[in-house]
Amino acid sequence: MYVAARGGEGAIQNAERLYRELIGHFDAETVRTIERAMPYLIDRVMGEGSLYAPELAALALAQSGGDLYEAVLMLRAFRSTQPRLAYARVVDAERMLVVRRISAAFKDIPGGQVLGPTLDYSHRVLDLAVLEGEPTTQPRGHEELEKDEPFESLYLRGEKNHLPLVADWQRDAGLLPMLPVHPCQEATEIPDVTREPLLFPAPRAMRLQSLSRADTGGVLALGYANMRGYGAVHPTVNEVRLGYADVEIVHPITGEPFSIGRVRVTHAEVVTAVEAAPAGNDASAGEPAKLQLALGFCATVGWNEVKTIAGAMLDMAMDLPDPHPSHTEEYVLYHTDPVESSGFCIHYKLPHYVTFGSELDVVRSVGAAKKVSGLGDYYGDGSGLAAGMPGVYSERATPPVSEAAGEQV
Amino acid sequence: MTDTCDNGRDAPRCVPASIPLLVTQKPLVQVRGLVKRYGGRVVAVDRLDLEVYAGEVLGIVGESGSGKSTVLRVLNLEERPDSGEYYFNTPELAGLNLFALDRPAQRRVRTFEIGIVYQNPHLGLRMRNTSSGNIAERLITAGERNYRALRLAARDALAASEFPLERMDDLPIRLSGGMQQRVQLAKAIALKPKLLLLDEPTTGLDVSVQARVLDTLKRLQRETGVTTIIVSHDLGVIRMLADRVMVMRRGRVVERGLTDQVLEDPQDPYTQQLVHAKL
Amino acid sequence: MPTIAELASPNPGYSYAFLDEFAKRELRRRILKAIAIPGYQVPYASRELPIARGWGTGGLQVTLSLVGPDDVVKVIDQGADDSVNAANLRRFVARMAGVATTTDALNATLIQSRHRIPEERLQEYQTLVLQVPDPEPLRSVEHDISKARLLHAEADYGLLWLRLYEQLVRYRRVTLGASYPCVVNGRYVMSPSPIPRWDVPKLHRAAHLTLLSAGREKRVYAVPPYTDVRPLEFADVPFRVEDQRGWTCRHTGLQHKFMSELPQPGGGTLYEISDTGFVEKVIARSRAAEVSIGATYYDDAGRFYIDGYLR
Repeated sequence: MYVAARGGEGAIQNAERLYRELIGHFDAETVRTIERAMPYLIDRVMGEGSLYAPELAALALAQSGGDLYEAVLMLRAFRSTQPRLAYARVVDAERMLVVRRISAAFKDIPGGQVLGPTLDYSHRVLDLAVLEGEPTTQPRGHEELEKDEPFESLYLRGEKNHLPLVADWQRDAGLLPMLPVHPCQEATEIPDVTREPLLFPAPRAMRLQSLSRADTGGVLALGYANMRGYGAVHPTVNEVRLGYADVEIVHPITGEPFSIGRVRVTHAEVVTAVEAAPAGNDASAGEPAKLQLALGFCATVGWNEVKTIAGAMLDMAMDLPDPHPSHTEEYVLYHTDPVESSGFCIHYKLPHYVTFGSELDVVRSVGAAKKVSGLGDYYGDGSGLAAGMPGVYSERATPPVSEAAGEQV
Repeated sequence: MTDTCDNGRDAPRCVPASIPLLVTQKPLVQVRGLVKRYGGRVVAVDRLDLEVYAGEVLGIVGESGSGKSTVLRVLNLEERPDSGEYYFNTPELAGLNLFALDRPAQRRVRTFEIGIVYQNPHLGLRMRNTSSGNIAERLITAGERNYRALRLAARDALAASEFPLERMDDLPIRLSGGMQQRVQLAKAIALKPKLLLLDEPTTGLDVSVQARVLDTLKRLQRETGVTTIIVSHDLGVIRMLADRVMVMRRGRVVERGLTDQVLEDPQDPYTQQLVHAKL
Repeated sequence: MPTIAELASPNPGYSYAFLDEFAKRELRRRILKAIAIPGYQVPYASRELPIARGWGTGGLQVTLSLVGPDDVVKVIDQGADDSVNAANLRRFVARMAGVATTTDALNATLIQSRHRIPEERLQEYQTLVLQVPDPEPLRSVEHDISKARLLHAEADYGLLWLRLYEQLVRYRRVTLGASYPCVVNGRYVMSPSPIPRWDVPKLHRAAHLTLLSAGREKRVYAVPPYTDVRPLEFADVPFRVEDQRGWTCRHTGLQHKFMSELPQPGGGTLYEISDTGFVEKVIARSRAAEVSIGATYYDDAGRFYIDGYLR
């Protein structure tokens, strides 16, 4: 087999070797350390990579030297090669094992506010003593855990962890519209953004999937713009819940659902008052408009509060009748994919000398056209056309480009 | 142009020679049962009938919110009505309800048969394109693919609307309000439309500018005989341009007739109020 | 009943040509649709590949979905086989599909390219896959994709023509560089990908099939063999290719092939033909080696092979 080998290929290999040398050696233990020590980082990579695989996320981070976009790309590329074996059943948020759950809308809520693990009310002070060799204080909860027992075991022992949704209370009270009956009866009928093209207006499932795997920074930037006033909403955080959800599939033989594992998930909802759609045509003529609450929603695998809160705000903004241009569905979903946006950004490093050459050709000829005297304004009387249209091969008024190139480039 | 037509108000109404045809001929434009609602609640136009004869200028008056501008947008096929029929009695379009055409067909009608001038030039012009380009776009839509022809046509249309040609390639955003209206007018007449729609074309302009733009409108209408519908809350403008007038209030026509008749001897209380307020 | 383990990993390696069969099948269907409606952008799902998005993943997916063991693949970037990105993609295709690769445009059955069409006329047995960063020719005048689709559906391209008009007014020439918009088969306006204007005529009534694919934007479109492709041009203002008259290739001494410009230290410029596979063959022939060089689109005097196409 003849393979065209070129200088380019050697250069690639050398570049990759240098990169490996920079990152240094890592092994299975490094990967396990990353996985254990940086759960939030792992969660972010898994969420954006849309693959729940803590070990692979840790490996991707190790392999990419901690470059988030590279790690996400690796995880996604791996994901796209994997067969689809089964579809999980819908996760019922009420059956989540909740470790943290807060609502800003009410002082207290059915089931109660659960602060859970968070840095929210801590002083963000660097623990410099660690650098001097002092150990960190052993967290209290860990005394209850056996060695290598997962964190969620702390919660599996409790009983008060299956909590009702605030939104359900609001629906019962007539403040929120009831949930529509889901149009997809089977999980296999749910549109899948990884297997079908995203078109607009997007099916709701695809919108939520896109937000779920969106770039945290991108969603935050657009969501923050919305919060700062580029949206007509003042949303209230209805509920943010973090916890564990069982992934259940139906057993192929017995037909019984069973859990194949537990994943960390985040779920955020925001609410705001909006004008209700008018009921009929003539009937309601002259009546005052009605207000009701509308819900913005976002969920992702892994624990990522910033992304889901900003995502829920964007979900709501996209539904408003006249969103700010940067909060339309198309704008938000196209510009927050981490793999697409980062990939396109770095592609500008690729050689572009053909396109640039074409552009230079235009710049030179237009520059030349301006120097031609007596061209005058062309009002269509015919005199100016052939002679006055630079770009006509035979009428070039400048010296050949090769002579002038040195000073123009 | 005849002398009698030149000085507005006191001159006898300039009655086009075609007036007797009102009796015998079918109208050029016919609208029946036009209903337009907004948001399911507001009825902007309620069961409106309207006829305009070839060469005629129909005025629509009414205060803001009366639905008169909505009528123009619907007649320009840029908004779909909730119901109604709309006919052009030309050989190509006779018997076709224009409201029922698909979008591309409506676009063709809008391109070839209708011209519009809005009160707000931002609605009628692309502010980031040259003035001449705004006119060229219409010809492009009509299929012209010759640059020279586009330049000539843009120049001719701008000249006809008495626009200073040395500024034909300026962006409209840099032009005065009066000149912007002239660009809109040039764009509207560039393809010699059957129907010209004028939506408060001089509202908001200085009085002197307004007078000059009105003169241009009037001269153009005389010269080309283009069938025109003009919407205005200004009875002076209507008096100067319109042959017949229709008074609208809350989406309905409360009175219609020859301009002189309606404005001199209004029958409907609302019209009386309008006329007296004006005086 | 198969076990989960059997289902999960019948083969620990990757599928042939990397993409799973489902993905390949989907893409082939989309390609067929694209061929059936020349110039129409067909949406597809677009898989993540182990190559960064925007680096040719669209072209690569088309190549991977079409490639078979008997194919000979050529990959070029800016006309060059040895550019690092081309080398990387070629390496990937060769590794995943086990195919032979070549730098000779005539030997290749499948050519994936970024920004260029080879100088030798491609033939019926060949497929050209062009990488596309932005498939939407209307982007400059309508950034909203939903609205742009409507404009395509109604063949409403007035805004593009207006753009040409405005350029003529302002600069007295059309100032579009690469990615010059073209009408395909008299119907859809497409972006020919960022090929120079020099390459645009090569698409017209070409013997080969051209597939254009944007991985990030998830669109594939096609110019089937012998299909009309015409750049947008006013009747009285002809389309112009880049003016490189007087430029001579430093390797071959040839003129009238698309050149890259090489600024020299201390001023001055050298030129070389951007199609490196072609240059290689010309040099080999000059050393009396046995090579076959095909007929080129432009002859040695710069005349395009279809009379009257370039006015």
